[in-house]
Amino acid sequence: MMSQDLVILFAAGMLVTAYLMVGQKALFTAIRLYALQSMLLGGVAIVMGLTDHRWHLLAGAALTIGLKGVGIPWFLMRVIDRIGIRREIEPILNVPASLLICLGLTVVGYRVSTGLADGAEGAAHHVIGVSLSMLLMGLFLMVTRRKAVTQILALLTVENAVFLVALGATTGMPLIVELGISFDVIVAVLILGVLVHRIVDRFESMDVSHLSKLKG
Amino acid sequence: MNLQSLGLGLLQAAALLALAPLLRGAIKKMKAAFENRQGPPLLQGYYDLAKLLRKEPVRSDVSSWVFVAGPRVYFATAVAATALVPVVLAGAPLEEAGGILVLVGLLALGRFALAAAALDTGSPFGGMGASREMTVAALAEPALMLGLFTVALWGGSLNLGDLVRTTVQRGFSAHPSDLLAAAALFIVLIAEAGRVPVDNPATHLELTMIHEAMLLEYSGVDLALVEWASALKELLFMTLLVNLFVPLGLALGASPGALAISIGLYLAKVFLLAVGVTVVEVTNAKLRLFRVPELMAASLGLAFLALAIRFL
Repeated sequence: MMSQDLVILFAAGMLVTAYLMVGQKALFTAIRLYALQSMLLGGVAIVMGLTDHRWHLLAGAALTIGLKGVGIPWFLMRVIDRIGIRREIEPILNVPASLLICLGLTVVGYRVSTGLADGAEGAAHHVIGVSLSMLLMGLFLMVTRRKAVTQILALLTVENAVFLVALGATTGMPLIVELGISFDVIVAVLILGVLVHRIVDRFESMDVSHLSKLKG
Repeated sequence: MNLQSLGLGLLQAAALLALAPLLRGAIKKMKAAFENRQGPPLLQGYYDLAKLLRKEPVRSDVSSWVFVAGPRVYFATAVAATALVPVVLAGAPLEEAGGILVLVGLLALGRFALAAAALDTGSPFGGMGASREMTVAALAEPALMLGLFTVALWGGSLNLGDLVRTTVQRGFSAHPSDLLAAAALFIVLIAEAGRVPVDNPATHLELTMIHEAMLLEYSGVDLALVEWASALKELLFMTLLVNLFVPLGLALGASPGALAISIGLYLAKVFLLAVGVTVVEVTNAKLRLFRVPELMAASLGLAFLALAIRFL
């Protein structure tokens, strides 16, 4: 039972980080929260891999911690350092309202998880519930924030949520798929990093709503 | 309520009162260590209290009895609140007297008395501090109650002593709502203790202080009582947090062995939590006053989420 408890605690920790990310305006803190979230995801994978003897999960966990817990946050911090913008100045929705909406999204995510085959009870219920909630929160974050870096973080949160739902609902993806996804994430973040530079060069701001001016 | 539990309650209150200044001193020392400073000696809190208790209080001519009563009520409510909280035994000394609601009510009464006393002298800083303190409290209190209710829902009782006893007997089992509620109560702890993202305990700069602004008019014994009660309240919140969420090793009976283990574990848990508070204090800048409600909204949201997930 101990390992199930650990899985539940790690998953709940991921939910807390996602929730705090919504209530956060400082970009550095948001990136640190994302790093913590990825570490916790790695923790879930390690515990599941060790208890069920699914060794390929350990490789996935190492990849998650190394890449998403350390590499990508470092890269994003460097991007922010270069362009010198540290704050999400004005989200489209203010913080208390976003928190309230995310609360509702979590309830929806949890409720929906009971419809899945394994999703009604035990650790799987919480893992799937947390991951669906995080998925919805990530999507919400993506549409309500203006800064490009926050949107990248939202995308990465969604990616973490998908990884978690794969852990909870299946016996884990094959290693080759995980490698492919990780590679996709690196390329996506690198390209988005370059894109952020381009946006800042062009508009002297990271606000993606300026992009609508590009229409002819 | 028999004589024995009353004695136990007094003993527990005395022990926590004796420990509280040490906790503040330890946090100050750790903070100094993080910043490569020497910091005040560990026992500075006791020296300060001893000095203040010897001094004669100076009170303004225009102040009324409210000003004198404020610190005393604040101190008395904080001491009374300790009797409702399990510390090293799985059960509170005066648990027949009430549970979560009485605890929250006592703390609110103390806060009210202090805020009323701060308004009494008519000094602008007192009024400003009181209004700020009440603003933060109005947001922290629902979060505190919802967080405690989440735990109560699992234990099936609103009585803290009963609650902890059930949890210890049933053994540990994780639920996401525990972590969410603990995170919410941690933010409440920081707000109630006046720690950095919300308030800065070290500042005496007019525009930023919240709690300190209410105390500017106080001196001597009055000031000592307020400072001591504030330290006690901080320790009380920490005790609540560690014993509700990590009730590991709480003694069920009064056998010396179990009691010794329980006391040791309790001190270790509180120390670890104090390290956590210090890390938050060192790594964060104080929030602008208008940003504080956002942090408290996050806390309230987490607590509500914790409660909702219990039912899903």
